[in-house]
Amino acid sequence: MNPLIRRGIRERLRTKHLIASGLFSLILCSTIYLSLYLYGASDQRTYDPHSQGYELVEGIPANGARAAFTSLLIFQGFLLMFLGTGRVASVTAEEKESGLLDYQRMTPMNPLFKITGYLFGLPAREYFMFLITLPFLLHCIIVGQLPWFGVLQLYAVFFSTVLFYHLTAHVIGLVVPKPRAASWVSRIAVLGLYVFLPALGQAGISFLSFLTILPTYFGKMLPALLPVGESELGRFEAKAADFWSEIPFFTSTLSPTVFTFLMQGLILLTLLVTAHRKWRNQALPAFSKPSALALFATFQFLLLGCLWPFFSDGSASGLLGEAFSSKNLSILQSDATLGLVIVQTVFLGLSTLAILSLVNVCCPNLHLFNKGIQRAEKLGLPRVPHSADESSGLGFVIILGLLTLSVHAFLLSLSARSEFWQSHPSLSEILLIPGLALLATCLYLQASRELWFNLGFWGFVGLLWVTPFLATLVITVGWQEEFIGSVLKILCLCPLSLLPIHLLTEYERLDGLSEELLDELRQAVWFGLACSLALAGYLQARLQLKRRANSRSSS
Amino acid sequence: MDYSAHSALPMIKCQDLKIHYGDHVAVDSLCFEVGKGSVYGLIGPNGAGKTTTIKAIATLIEPTYGEILVDGIPVLHQPEEARRIIGYMPDFPPVYDDLRIEEFCDLFAHAYGLDRNARAKKVEECLRLTDLMDKRRALCKTLSRGMKQRALLAKTLVHEPSVLLLDEPAANLDPKARIDLRNLLRRLASSGKTVLVSSHVLSELEDLCDAIGIMRKGNMALSGSLEEVSASAAASRVIRIELVESFPNLQNLLRESSSVSKVDSRDERIFEITHSGDRSEAASLLTTLTGAGAKVCEFHLKQSKVEDLFLEIESEDSSEDANR
Repeated sequence: MNPLIRRGIRERLRTKHLIASGLFSLILCSTIYLSLYLYGASDQRTYDPHSQGYELVEGIPANGARAAFTSLLIFQGFLLMFLGTGRVASVTAEEKESGLLDYQRMTPMNPLFKITGYLFGLPAREYFMFLITLPFLLHCIIVGQLPWFGVLQLYAVFFSTVLFYHLTAHVIGLVVPKPRAASWVSRIAVLGLYVFLPALGQAGISFLSFLTILPTYFGKMLPALLPVGESELGRFEAKAADFWSEIPFFTSTLSPTVFTFLMQGLILLTLLVTAHRKWRNQALPAFSKPSALALFATFQFLLLGCLWPFFSDGSASGLLGEAFSSKNLSILQSDATLGLVIVQTVFLGLSTLAILSLVNVCCPNLHLFNKGIQRAEKLGLPRVPHSADESSGLGFVIILGLLTLSVHAFLLSLSARSEFWQSHPSLSEILLIPGLALLATCLYLQASRELWFNLGFWGFVGLLWVTPFLATLVITVGWQEEFIGSVLKILCLCPLSLLPIHLLTEYERLDGLSEELLDELRQAVWFGLACSLALAGYLQARLQLKRRANSRSSS
Repeated sequence: MDYSAHSALPMIKCQDLKIHYGDHVAVDSLCFEVGKGSVYGLIGPNGAGKTTTIKAIATLIEPTYGEILVDGIPVLHQPEEARRIIGYMPDFPPVYDDLRIEEFCDLFAHAYGLDRNARAKKVEECLRLTDLMDKRRALCKTLSRGMKQRALLAKTLVHEPSVLLLDEPAANLDPKARIDLRNLLRRLASSGKTVLVSSHVLSELEDLCDAIGIMRKGNMALSGSLEEVSASAAASRVIRIELVESFPNLQNLLRESSSVSKVDSRDERIFEITHSGDRSEAASLLTTLTGAGAKVCEFHLKQSKVEDLFLEIESEDSSEDANR
């Protein structure tokens, strides 16, 4: 047995723990399950519109079991996904801070073996509490006559999701310095995965909703949970089941279970790479440059796959799909164009944020850069290899920018060829400014990351990207439309607002935009672009000068 | 530069080691060697870079520059190989609170690949060595700091490392436990293990180490065997002279000698002179004094203690800081 799993069992499952946690799980689970089961299985008084009176409908045990299934699943999720995730994150961070992790790091076990030990050893008590709930689940399946294959599919996704959350928590524990912060960051991450990402899924980026068990639950399990004799889902349930029944991806559709496994598998692989690196050496960045590029390329591929149907013929899943479905083709073309702008904005915004994260992780600070040069000299290499953690991130960020721009161009060319979209701005116009803006952003982010340490870098990004929003808020509240030009110019300092403002100016068919406002928008875009380019040029020059001065002083 | 201890084979070798934390230079151009089977003491005030150096040798910190070899294995390039032969004990004792001491040792014996029977035997042996057999079933969280330190030492020994890196191992021990630790480390060294031990209290190491290195602000101020360090501390030695009865002309006679730079007198019979000459010059000086009629009953070199030297280095540090 893995010594770390054995350690988890010894630490957290001594007799007193077994009794206490077993009772806790048993009492709570039986209370939740039995109350719902008994209520569902009892005779119900239902209103009959024909006789305009209440009728007594005889209760069936199967209905009770079906009614209790979801609550049981939520309780199991609470044990493993909420408690277990917090435990993995906080203990990993505590052990990192105290130095216990260093002992393990020094043992000759394979890092993958150590990761497995942490993932299954730390939440040993939570797994035990989960085991206590299994008799209830078995009762639910047998009495509720639930389809075994559907339940198996759901629980396969459930465990893959648990593994995904625990690994996320482990990586957060390895990366976030404070134990309490790590515990909360991981719990917030789990909540974010259930709330924030499904919301983005509604805006057409459907792959982001597949990091939870919700798609498989709604797409596969929900119809089986209807009371015996009923075949129609409620309005909300029907919408959810429809959203998650088939996933449009490029020109075909995928089952939600397959898609969930695909998404979680990719992210698990990424997290494993990070955990493996951190186990080998705590000081290594979370990703090497090649693995970061592979990750970003995969991200762009998934974005492209999910947005392809939307840009080619206006079909998408979620709320966006509903708004653009053939039933609603009568909607105003300007509204449709606005939808196009929104989806492009979401795409470019997500890509920019992904670039920011990867720049933060993969670009070396001055010390790491100098260390690379010294090591290359020692090894007799003419220069630091491009893929090394210590090498400059200039080429790396340019590739990230170009990848984003290529996918953006591809999506635009799809919409230009589509019969659904009637608004066709010139490709060169709609690519030139986003291209330059993205390139400038990549360059100044890379230069600032390599010039300054954490505080300087995040301070700079905060000042440039967040302060304009706050300033425009104050100006707008105080002076309303009086200073609209200035407000727009300040907003355009941040690429996250520059890009949508530019897109608005390019689609002529948008209603409600006066010529005067369009002029203001265009001026703001050029102002923002000029500032970004100047900043990129200045910071790159400063970086080169500083590196030269450093190499002179060290030689 | 060879600062090796009594054995010819260097088991630990640090060459031009530099470690930076951001702008802060923790270790700068550090060079030293530790011979196989010897005990080397790394001494220095807090913040001198001892812990950083030990962590770098233990493969837990990547040096900014320089090379570390452990038994000829470059730790930067082959950390996994090096880790197999290293036993590392940090300066404060983190343990798994909810494990019993024997389970704690067993965990690491298992992680280092020992089978069930070998584990039980080895764990018992290590607990016996560290005098923890009575406490083997106690939970780690119930132990005092000193006990935790011992449990940690038992865990460090469980995979039979040939190199032991002990960061302030005696910091929380009572006097008896310190003596036991000293004897244990001497025994381990005589069985061929190489021990690198750090402390900021010199007296803890003086009787234990074959060689010491005094660190200051990331640099090695002095390194070598205890005798070498003492000798280098006394480039100009102090000679104590005691007379049977006072001799009025003695101070003039001493000052006439070119090898005497300073004369201090405690009273009319006892003098301490700073002498920069060699042994034969010291002998000529004694002949001159007795020839002139001085009744010398004591004439000997006053040993400069390593402790004095260490304090001297520390006080240099503080005065530099004050001037800044």
